[in-house]
Amino acid sequence: MANEKQFSEKESLEIITNMIQKARGSYHDTGIGSLLWGTVVAIASFTTYLQREYNFSIGFDIWLIVMAAVIPQIIISIREKRSQVVVKYEDDALNAVWLVYGISIFGIVAYQNIIPGATIKLNAAEGWQMIKHYTDNRLPDQELRPFAPSLYSLFILLYAFPTLVTAIVKKFKPMLLGAIIAYSLFIVSCFTASKYDMLMGGISAIFCWLIPGIILRTKYLAQKKALANV
Amino acid sequence: MFKELDPILHSQLRLAVMSLLIGVKEAEFTFIREKTNATAGNLSVQVQKLKEAGYIDVVKQFKDNYPQTTCKITPHGIEAFDAYVKALQQYLQAGQS
Repeated sequence: MANEKQFSEKESLEIITNMIQKARGSYHDTGIGSLLWGTVVAIASFTTYLQREYNFSIGFDIWLIVMAAVIPQIIISIREKRSQVVVKYEDDALNAVWLVYGISIFGIVAYQNIIPGATIKLNAAEGWQMIKHYTDNRLPDQELRPFAPSLYSLFILLYAFPTLVTAIVKKFKPMLLGAIIAYSLFIVSCFTASKYDMLMGGISAIFCWLIPGIILRTKYLAQKKALANV
Repeated sequence: MFKELDPILHSQLRLAVMSLLIGVKEAEFTFIREKTNATAGNLSVQVQKLKEAGYIDVVKQFKDNYPQTTCKITPHGIEAFDAYVKALQQYLQAGQS
């Protein structure tokens, strides 16, 4: 681009418009984060469903892989930040949304694990306990450990939230579709047994992150290849 | 009465740099060079002029043992860009009437 060459007001406007468009169109998501979370959440959800449906155990809590995925995510984030040549205002906002989402997920996991014990203690302090009573009296009454029914529905609801925000901000239709599917499955999951909630959670993870991740990755690699050929 | 177009901004490359930076939080020198198709030498000179005018902040640091220059528009730069665009609109409107 020439420097001090004389140019008209119209050309000035063209430069401004052209450069703003170039800055806008410079979004390079590697897709690795979406692929990672789409894969681990789908695997954990489907494995949990299969264990419940066919009554077997793999011997460890499959959701530990979701916890373990935080480590590669941190490494990915650091590497991507290092290779980032442009930082947009919306990037900070979206990072904040995903951070809040992560905190909320861990908050629900903590809730899921703390509530039963805490409820037993609080009930005991008031001098009562929860009892499981069979209406046909086929088994005697049993003490019931309190739990939040169909809690995985809330996870599905949460999966849709950052996905929809990203879809709207980045105008990324695959994530918009993923969010719509997750919201729909959240509604369905409110009426189904919890093992099917797991199935729907897995499907949500595939549509919210795995498929958009594959699309982003394919685009990113194509752009990288095109730049290398220049 | 037409406002005079800011001579610092009324240069193709400097205007291109400012137009790129107005829409982002910060950008690396390499990104700006790629988008403007400018040579490194010419871009360095123009970036320095924008910095001297107080329109952009330039941070030089080392990243993975390589020098890295990051540019960011300042509030003063945003005001100047805004004034330039308004002045430009005046000229264009006058041309149409």
